[in-house]
Amino acid sequence: MSRPTGGSVNDIARFLSSGGGPGSPTSSSSVFSAASQADWAAKRLVWVPSEKHGFESASIREERGDEVDVVLTDCQVKVTLSREEVQRMNPPRFSKVEDMADLTCLNEASVLHNLRERYYSGLIYTYSGLFCVVVNPYKNLPIYTESIVEMYRGKKRHEMPPHIYAISEAAYRSMLQDREDQSILCTGESGAGKTENTKKVIQYLAHVASSHKSGSLGRNKEAGELERQLLQANPILEAFGNAKTVKNDNSSRFGKFIRINFDVAGYIVGANIETYLLEKSRAIRQAKDERTFHIFYQLLCGATEETRADLLLGNADQYRFLTGGSIPVPGQSDSENFTQTMDSMAIMGFTAEESLSMLKVISAVLQFGNISFTKEKNHDQASMPDNTAAQKLCHLLGINVLEFTRAILTPRIKVGREYVQKAQTKEQADFAIEALAKATYERLFRWLVHRINRALDRRQRQGASFIGILDIAGFEIFQLNSFEQLCINYTNEKLQQLFNHTMFILEQEEYQREGIDWNFIDFGLDLQPCIDLIERPTHPPGVLALLDEECWFPRATDRTFVEKLSAEQGNHPKFFKSKQPRGEADFSIIHYAGKVDYKANDWLVKNMDPLNDNVASLLHQSSDHFVSELWKEVDRIVGLDQVSSGESSGPVAFGAAGLKTKKGMFRTVGQLYKESLTKLMATLRNTNPNFLRCIIPNHEKRAGKLAPHLVLDQLRCNGVLEGIRICRQGFPNRIPFQEFRQRYEILTPNAIPRTFMDGKQASELMISALELDHNLFRVGQSKVFFRAGVLAHLEEERDLKITDTIIRFQSAARGFLARKAFFKKQQQLSALRVMQRNCHAYLKLRNWQWWRLFTKVKPLLQVTRQDEEIQVREAELQKAKDKLTRLILKLFLDLKTRALEEEKNGLMEKLEEDEERAKEMSRQIQTLSQQVKQKSRRD
Amino acid sequence: MAPKKDPKAPAKKAEPAPAPAPAPEPAPAPAAAPAIDLSAVKVEFSPDQVEDYREAFGLFDRVGDNKVAYNQIADIMRALGQNPTNKEVNKLLGNPSADDMASKRVEFEMFLPMLQTIINSPNKAGFEDYVEGLRVFDKEGNGTVMGAELRIVLSTLGEKMTEAEIDALMAGQEDENGCVNYEGESSINKEQFKKQELTLLGPFLTKYVTFYCKLL
Repeated sequence: MSRPTGGSVNDIARFLSSGGGPGSPTSSSSVFSAASQADWAAKRLVWVPSEKHGFESASIREERGDEVDVVLTDCQVKVTLSREEVQRMNPPRFSKVEDMADLTCLNEASVLHNLRERYYSGLIYTYSGLFCVVVNPYKNLPIYTESIVEMYRGKKRHEMPPHIYAISEAAYRSMLQDREDQSILCTGESGAGKTENTKKVIQYLAHVASSHKSGSLGRNKEAGELERQLLQANPILEAFGNAKTVKNDNSSRFGKFIRINFDVAGYIVGANIETYLLEKSRAIRQAKDERTFHIFYQLLCGATEETRADLLLGNADQYRFLTGGSIPVPGQSDSENFTQTMDSMAIMGFTAEESLSMLKVISAVLQFGNISFTKEKNHDQASMPDNTAAQKLCHLLGINVLEFTRAILTPRIKVGREYVQKAQTKEQADFAIEALAKATYERLFRWLVHRINRALDRRQRQGASFIGILDIAGFEIFQLNSFEQLCINYTNEKLQQLFNHTMFILEQEEYQREGIDWNFIDFGLDLQPCIDLIERPTHPPGVLALLDEECWFPRATDRTFVEKLSAEQGNHPKFFKSKQPRGEADFSIIHYAGKVDYKANDWLVKNMDPLNDNVASLLHQSSDHFVSELWKEVDRIVGLDQVSSGESSGPVAFGAAGLKTKKGMFRTVGQLYKESLTKLMATLRNTNPNFLRCIIPNHEKRAGKLAPHLVLDQLRCNGVLEGIRICRQGFPNRIPFQEFRQRYEILTPNAIPRTFMDGKQASELMISALELDHNLFRVGQSKVFFRAGVLAHLEEERDLKITDTIIRFQSAARGFLARKAFFKKQQQLSALRVMQRNCHAYLKLRNWQWWRLFTKVKPLLQVTRQDEEIQVREAELQKAKDKLTRLILKLFLDLKTRALEEEKNGLMEKLEEDEERAKEMSRQIQTLSQQVKQKSRRD
Repeated sequence: MAPKKDPKAPAKKAEPAPAPAPAPEPAPAPAAAPAIDLSAVKVEFSPDQVEDYREAFGLFDRVGDNKVAYNQIADIMRALGQNPTNKEVNKLLGNPSADDMASKRVEFEMFLPMLQTIINSPNKAGFEDYVEGLRVFDKEGNGTVMGAELRIVLSTLGEKMTEAEIDALMAGQEDENGCVNYEGESSINKEQFKKQELTLLGPFLTKYVTFYCKLL
């Protein structure tokens, strides 16, 4: 919507407020002189319906019962109208009022007039009671610069002109003050400015709640990186998820919920993005004058020659999936944007390989479209005569081209308990290719979001609370609407219900609970019946449940689904079955925004989203790591066996036999979506919602033009008027007794006695001391309720009152800081003095002879000491030498002893032997002598 | 290093400063007058004090002409133990323009009566008001205030403080819940106080409280 431009603050302030400077309408009223006031009173101006302008001003001539004669101001034509058609005009001092809840006469005409007047003056934001309305300016306004951010920082809503920054500031402040999670819900039609405003919220929060302060303490550089990455998340998501449509050059084709987490001190500690319903069919087919996602064109225009060769890229008109060839977007350069996207990805911490892999997959998605099949002459089978495209594709995705061809043309399908090879018709093969291309792109997008979340999720510091920003497609009503529109409209129905619930139901319930005098107003805005019609699981089953059921039913078609739906829900007040013959709408649902005609063609396929699981598992096993990562979950897809071959008309029909057990094994698109929506709603319900209603002024993307009927329709759909009404009639501000006392006791110094007093009594005493008009407040059971604006007034007085204390505190704080700095200065001074003293001493000594002698001699002293050292060392050496000789001697002696001992042993042994021999000899001698004796005796 | 006598000086100086305040003093120039007639202010500092002040004054002289810039006056007074508001100081200087603040200079003899005026000035805010003021931000009533809220208040109300000032002030003061304790160490005695004044905001606040007690 805008890009920061130069210009002084005064210049810019002009864009923010209507001449009279920020403040109440009365401050600007001086411009509208007494003359115009008198004019208004004299002419009795009113609004009358007009074909061209929505409403025209006229003056009343005569009132007759139920009829009124008026003269149109512009052309002086006299008209008679019924009283109901005439709407009262506000006094001129309310011209361009900043909060439409201030208007004296609240009616459609006045609201439209006010919005239009403001819009023509470049004032695109307007409060309407509790929420904010913004009209897309279709041009850059200089109201989003850093200096403007600074202007809104710390300000209360009523202190500054309406702005998205004021909404963000209010959410941030109440998050810190009440410690309650916040959400900012941007809703509106496509092209109304939801995404731009979402970005501004993030810009504001990243600026205000950044823990990275220039040159401040403790917080390091890396902390600023998180804020930078947070700001870069959007450009990346936009490149992959936004496209040019007829209505909007940068239309978000997905919904997102960005959750920014803060720590207790209010600093950003991380973020998380959740996306909803990517319009993946855009990747393969686009309507006339529309484009597919930006990244495709960016890649084709911006890639370097080298990348082009690597990714086998061609020109835009060489791809069948780019229906319109290359369509430039006015004022945008795809190749420049490509560089920006790549830069953003680098800041986000994507590695070069990751970026390249992503681009490769992009190229592959395009390449899918160039695979073409022909029908064989004799039978229905499809064949692929030219496999150039398939080869390129398989190269990009890292799979085998033969296996791929087989998986596409003759996949293995489970029939009963066996697998058979089933030849595919041309229609089936074409369908499979498109489904694969869509699934590939969707998985790439999911991976991208996951990757961004990983970069933004810093768990170093504990998150304490969060602000969630929801940017989701608004109501879509086309001539004929399909499943996607049902999902989007269902979402909006739920969001509107949340809005109504908080604004009207909860509000009034609280009045009753608190025992406040209140007549329950039924705004007729309970959307539950319509929601039930869509999401109710049973008794009777709603649209989604019936669709799921039909998906599991043998031989079911889109027609049988419609029949079943009419049978079950035919009497539902929000359901309408057209009596027209086929070809037109199958049924209609009366949404809060109007009657929407739905055509049920292909709903079963869309809900099941079947995929050729043969190819899926090939991709799962791809040699390319990135591709196999994308396809790591393949078990939950609806495979070919769930889709029976084409016996009936159309490329695919449903209801293969033996599917009863399959139910629940995988999830339908409807189921998954309903689940994520329920989760989102649960999150939102636990937050304090801040609503931003985005309005598209015309369908021509033209600045300064406001089509009255278009805007009126949106105001009615959005419940803007009802919102204002309850804000005026009700008590939109409430505050618990305890908090009221704690916060405002300062305004009533002596109202409450020092002794204990219960909250209600104390609050009542305080209120009577404040001398408030009885109509401005109500005292409930636990809270005090105020009419719009009263609390803001009290808050102002309180600020005034505490300012004095704050100034005292601030001067004490400044004193503290100054003393700290002074102490440091003094320490530096004394350090300096120590140095000076030393220098001084040196200078004095420098020329003193003895000192010079000393400095000369000092090194010599070292020398004498060296001699001593040498002596000691030598002594040590000597000792060691002696020891060594002694040791050697000992060793030598040892050896000698051992040798001698051995000799001794040898001798001993010899001796023993000799003795033995001697004994033997003596024995022989004995024997011989005996023999001699015996012989001599015989003789 | 051995600082001789200087570091103890500020504490010493800080003390005698508030002391003369209770003495019944002929009120300085009436508040209504745009500029204050400094020549009418009776300076009653002891020679020792004057010497200390001169030394401190000299520390702020960046040029060497024995004068200091207008925009440093407030900081010198603060260094000497005073807590003047910016408005008070501006009034003393005759509400100079931003350019004058940076370019005009004051000599020591002119500074003394200014300091005396600040010391003499009657403080309207009392102890009760002060505690009441902080209690306004004390949601749980447990003697702590949210750092985040204090930051917002200090930067958006009154004599707005810059982010750098607030960061310096809050450095290390917030506990893991983001709270600043302002009552915790109120029983701390004077001696501990002198030692800790420079490290803890808690005692700093307490000192602030006692300062007010003295004035009452």
